[in-house]
Order: sequence, then C-alpha cells, then structure tokens
Amino acid sequence: MFINGPLFWFLMGVVFLGVGAGFRAFAADRGWVLTWWKGLLALVWYAIFALTVFAFGTLVGENEAAAGLRFLAFGLFLCLVLGIVLWRLMGHTPAVDRRASSPGTPGGPAGP
Amino acid sequence: MSDDEKTGLSRRNFLMVTGLAGLAAQTGGLVAAGIRTGRDPRTFTGWESYNPGTQFFDRRRFEFDGPAYSPVGSVSRPGHRTDYVFGRVATFERAFARNPDWTLDDPIEGLGLPPDLEAFYREFPERLEWDFRTFSETIPNNRRDRREYGDHYRLAEAYAAGFEAHRALIPSPQSPPEVSDYLRPRGRGARIPEPVPFRSPELAAEFVKELAHRYGATLVGIARMNPDFLYSDGWRGCPPGHDFSRLPEHWEYAIVVGVPMEWDVVLASPHSSTSSDAYDRISTTAFRLEGCLKSLGYPVRTHSPDAGYDLIVPPLAVEAGLGELGRTGYCITPELGGNFRTAVLTTNLPMAVDRPIRFGVAEFCNKCKLCAEGCPSGAISFADSPDGMVIRGYEHWYINNGACYNYWRETMGPMGCRLCIATCPYSRKNSWLHSVARDLDARDPTGAVSSALLVMQERFFDAPDAEAYRRPPHGEFANYRPPPRFLDTERYLDIPVTRPGKGG
Ligand code: SF4
Ligand code: SF4
Repeated sequence: MFINGPLFWFLMGVVFLGVGAGFRAFAADRGWVLTWWKGLLALVWYAIFALTVFAFGTLVGENEAAAGLRFLAFGLFLCLVLGIVLWRLMGHTPAVDRRASSPGTPGGPAGP
Repeated sequence: MSDDEKTGLSRRNFLMVTGLAGLAAQTGGLVAAGIRTGRDPRTFTGWESYNPGTQFFDRRRFEFDGPAYSPVGSVSRPGHRTDYVFGRVATFERAFARNPDWTLDDPIEGLGLPPDLEAFYREFPERLEWDFRTFSETIPNNRRDRREYGDHYRLAEAYAAGFEAHRALIPSPQSPPEVSDYLRPRGRGARIPEPVPFRSPELAAEFVKELAHRYGATLVGIARMNPDFLYSDGWRGCPPGHDFSRLPEHWEYAIVVGVPMEWDVVLASPHSSTSSDAYDRISTTAFRLEGCLKSLGYPVRTHSPDAGYDLIVPPLAVEAGLGELGRTGYCITPELGGNFRTAVLTTNLPMAVDRPIRFGVAEFCNKCKLCAEGCPSGAISFADSPDGMVIRGYEHWYINNGACYNYWRETMGPMGCRLCIATCPYSRKNSWLHSVARDLDARDPTGAVSSALLVMQERFFDAPDAEAYRRPPHGEFANYRPPPRFLDTERYLDIPVTRPGKGG
C-alpha cells in the first residue's frame, strides 16, 4: 500500500525539505534573521501542527470523525496562538546581528 | 531593478510557492497517513495475534511488593449461589417459577429459597428487588421487544452463535479437584504422568507465559493462590456435602490469561456486541494450556467462561500484575483497558510469581466517572473513591450486579451490556494516539495528564445519554457506536427489519 509505505514517507521527507526551503525564502523576504533557536522553534511549531493533522486523520480512521474535528479545531487554535508568538520572535533581531547590520560597525555595511 | 535582483526575487518567489505547495501536500499526506493508521488492523491488540508482542507494556517500573489487596475486616468467601450473579439469579428463577404470584410485599420465606440466599437477600435487599424485577418485568418485556425488533440484530446474534457453538467442545470438570485435575483432558479417565521437574521456578514461569501467548493469550500473569478468592460452595464436579473450606493442596498458583473482545464490535455495545468471541478464545487458550501442563505431569483446573469458575478472577488478575481494579470492579490493564476477558488455571507447578502494578488507574478512576454516567442500570458507583466500599472483608470498587444483570436482560442482540468497557478511556486499541496518552499518563506523577485527557475525552468524544440505551419509551436501544458493516442486517439479509431507533 502506497500510503504509509516507505516510498510515501520518503516523498514526505522530500516535500518537507521543500517546505523548509520555502520558509527560509519567506524569512529572507521579510528580512528576518534566522538563528538556530528560531529554526528550532519553527520546527517545534511545525511538529505540533503536523501532529495535530495526523491525530485528526487517525481519529477519522478510527471512526471518530467528530472527535477528530474537535481535536483539529483545538490543535489549530493552539497553532494559531503559538504562531503569533513565533511570528513576533522571528522579527526579533539578536543584538550581535543588529550591531553587524548597523552602518559603520566593523563587518557592517560601509557608512554613507 | 537589476537583473541580479530580479533573478533573486523570482527564485525566492519560486521557493516560497514551492514551500506553500509542500505545506498543502504535507497536510494532505498527514491526513491520509493518519486515516490509514487509525484503520490499521495491527492496532487491534490481541486480535488473533498469537505472539508475546501483545503484552507490550513494560511493567517493571510500575511494580510494587504485593499483595495489592489486604483484608480490612473479617473475610468471608464469595458464595456461588449469592455473590455470583448467574448462580444467584438461576436459584431465584427456580424459586420464582414455583411461586409465580410472589411479590416484594410478601415475606421472603414464601419463596422457599436456600438459607444462604435468603440470608444474602436480607443483607442486600436491593439485590432481591433487582432480581425480582428481572424475572417479573424485564424478561417479559424483552420477549415482546425481541418479537418487534429482533430481526435488526440477526447478524449480531449469528456472529455470536458461531463462537457459542464451540463452547460445547470445552469440557467442564466432572469430579472434585483432587480427582479431575489429575486426569488427562479427554483421556477417558487416564491419569496424568509423573511431573517432569523444571530447572527453576523462573524458567517454568517463562515457559508457561511463552506457551500461553502461543496458545492465544494476549496477556498472562502468575499469582500465588489466595483462598479468599475461592467460592465458598458449588465448585464444579463436587458432590453435595463436599468440604469447601479446604483449599485443594495443588491449587498453589494461579495462571491468569486474558484476551480482548474484538475492538470494533465491543464499541457497538450494548445491543450489537457480544462477549462470546473473547469467552471462546480465552476458554480455548486456557484449555490448550491445561493440556500442555497436564502432559508434563502437573495437575490443573481451568476456570474459564466456557468451563465455569470456582473462583473470582479480578483480584487474582491484579495480584498477577496484569492491571489495576477500576471503578467497574474489574481489572483494567495497560494494553487492553477493561476490554479483557479472563481465565485462570490453578496448579502446583512451582513458578516465579509476578508483582502487582500501579500505573495510575486508581487516581484516574477517582476523577473519571464516565462509566458510571453511561451505565443504563445505575450499577456503578459515583463515589469519589472506593474508601469505605468493603465487601467480604476487602475494600475496593464493586458494582451492584443485580442492577447490571437486570439491564443485560433488557438488551437486544446477543445478551449482555459491556457499555462500561466501551466507554472507558482505557479501553482503546493500540494506535499511536492512545499509546502516547496511556504512556504519558502512567509516567506523570502530578495527575495533570490524566486531568487533560479526561477533559478531552468528555469534550471531544460524543456518547449517548444513559437513558438512550434503554428500551422504548425511556430510550431507543442506542449503541455507543454503530456496529461494524459486517453486522449490518439490512445490508446482507433479505428480510423486513424494524429499526428500534436511530442509534440502534
Ligand atoms: S455492563 Fe452495562 S449495566 Fe452492567 S455495569 Fe457495565 S454499563 Fe452498567
Ligand atoms: S470509565 Fe473512567 S472511572 Fe470508569 S473504569 Fe474507566 S477510567 Fe475508571
């Protein structure tokens, strides 16, 4: 069976890399400076989102679709709240990077 | 905008679109994978899987030195004709058949009951009321209901009948333990050989457990026999006048084996489910194990649903480390929850015994009253803890088995109820979702996980009201969940069917 088989999870892994690349491009577009802890937090957020969706599917598969929908609504609400917090943290520029990006500092762009 | 910038932007846009499309694909893939996982038959623990992998919960860190239960008062053994509900109602039925005009307003002596049952009813008058109601009201009503709606349950009954047909092949002891337990099964009176010694009790236990799993047991544990859990009378094969005060010398150990009822069927309780699948499987398993041990020269008596019982099982299952006693009065295990039907083999093969476990059921049951809220007969206690619930000298949860049996006789389909098993949050198959919940709860000393799980269970999962399970006009013969497709009479049978209600 394709779904849940080894090829399926391999392709899911490949698609995940695409999601990661898209996120990096999105971060660059918004001018977010990505650090290791921001990447980790984004991964945790994505894991919560993925688990919520997977749990929804599992409950549907167990003939508990109503419970699955309620769980999904709860999980997505949690993801929304955590997502807002994450968004604000993403915009936070670490001090060392701020210095590095201010004009005239060593390693920063040249002054006018 | 320079060409370089344009290229950078379009590459960035491409990556962002790819990421978005990937997100959508991952979401769809996760839902599809989840649905397949939820339907995976391998998550039905113990469902025809004959291997030790079914006892997957690592009990070691939850073990404690037993016994799990110690007497808190003067101990008396349960009576086969009093505490054992089937023995009691059969005795009452015979007395009531001889005195059909007897009512609760008449003196109890008018029923001509055996003295022990008369004394029991004086001590527990509400049991007399329930048993009277069962035979004077519930069974006649049920006959009418079956004439009207019975065809709706034809396939559920036929499914159960297949397992019940096998019951006739499971023998019951025909002579006292000192005789029958030493006879070869189906050996036409031939005695078992001299016992073959094992190298150590540990190896004997290891061998017995391996074999029990291979013969079909999902769970197996070993306890030292406790005479307090033997019936005080009515052992199989014992003639009138038998001395039941003496524990047979060879009943030193109790091997407790268990299997679940089929998971999708038990959820269709009370009207479209059956216990016969598990009764048949565990009786067969136990009989196989009896044959094996007797062939090695050890006397054995099997206590099983099809062969009958001379003892009560739940306390032995607890002492054998299989689980904890729940609000429902039966053993709740980590792998199967309360969906656990049992048999016991009493023997003198020296074996290392297991230790009881605590994995959070006591605390969970004190908070959770789902089974009590869903019970159509009100048989399950709503108390906040079992403190003060003392029966026969032991303090633990127990139910009003007269009320419970009364509702059994109200149900349609294969007789019985099983709702408290279906509604219990522990009785869930082994999908990752339930495994994570179970493992987190067992390892959380704060109780926060169980509180959160309970809130989710109550808020997310629908369940009919207790009344909806009852017969019309109180209810509509609702089931906890719809039966699996293979039990859908209207799909398969070309007969007119009257549906009792939307939940049936
Ligand atoms: S089997 Fe049914 S009636 Fe009996 S205690 Fe359980 S829920 Fe109540
Ligand atoms: S439903 Fe709740 S209270 Fe009842 S046995 Fe299960 S966990 Fe305990």
